Amino acid sequence: MTSLSYREKTLYASLAAEIVVYGPYFFMHQQNSVNKVAGMIIGIIVLQIILQSIIAALTRNRVTDERDRLIELRGYRAGYLTLASLMVLGLGMLWFHATVGHLELESRMLGLHFLSVFFGMLIISDITKTATQIVAYRRAL
Amino acid sequence: MPAMRNQIRELRGRRELTQQELADQVGVTRQTVIAMEQDKYSPSLETAFKVATALGVSLEQCFQYDSRGKR
Repeated sequence: MTSLSYREKTLYASLAAEIVVYGPYFFMHQQNSVNKVAGMIIGIIVLQIILQSIIAALTRNRVTDERDRLIELRGYRAGYLTLASLMVLGLGMLWFHATVGHLELESRMLGLHFLSVFFGMLIISDITKTATQIVAYRRAL
Repeated sequence: MPAMRNQIRELRGRRELTQQELADQVGVTRQTVIAMEQDKYSPSLETAFKVATALGVSLEQCFQYDSRGKR
């Protein structure tokens, strides 16, 4: 880990936290609930605080520079493009269900269904953002 | 071939500076110095001036622009 910059270490920690907390979301899709989504959001915040505090405490040189900011912007761009693309897909799905689909769910279940879908989009775009930044660091930019 | 090339590694070697020492003087991370030395990252004009100053040379001696190179 000595060859990694402070920002790079925090990114690996973020990716690990995202995979650990959000991973089960995709494998237990049928059991999703509002409480579970709220629990995941709280879980990721707590885990991020703990991991980032440990890294900050263990890293003496916490310099960030223009290259870090450039890589951060690239990550946000990739994350935004992913989120925007998935949103278009989600809206298309919503339109399909509202017009030609035959999804017969009660309104509460329908709300939960779309909560799951849009939360999943947020997770995918967040992981894309972090992964893009890590790849940029590994490729030197 | 990249559009921006530099002599950071050679000049740093002449002044017997480590990558970390140069990074500290310029105010960037050691990884950024490595990326610049490998011609994988073109710094901003401000950082380029800081690097040249830290190495005791002019900007043109440190950085060269090749118009035929890949941007």
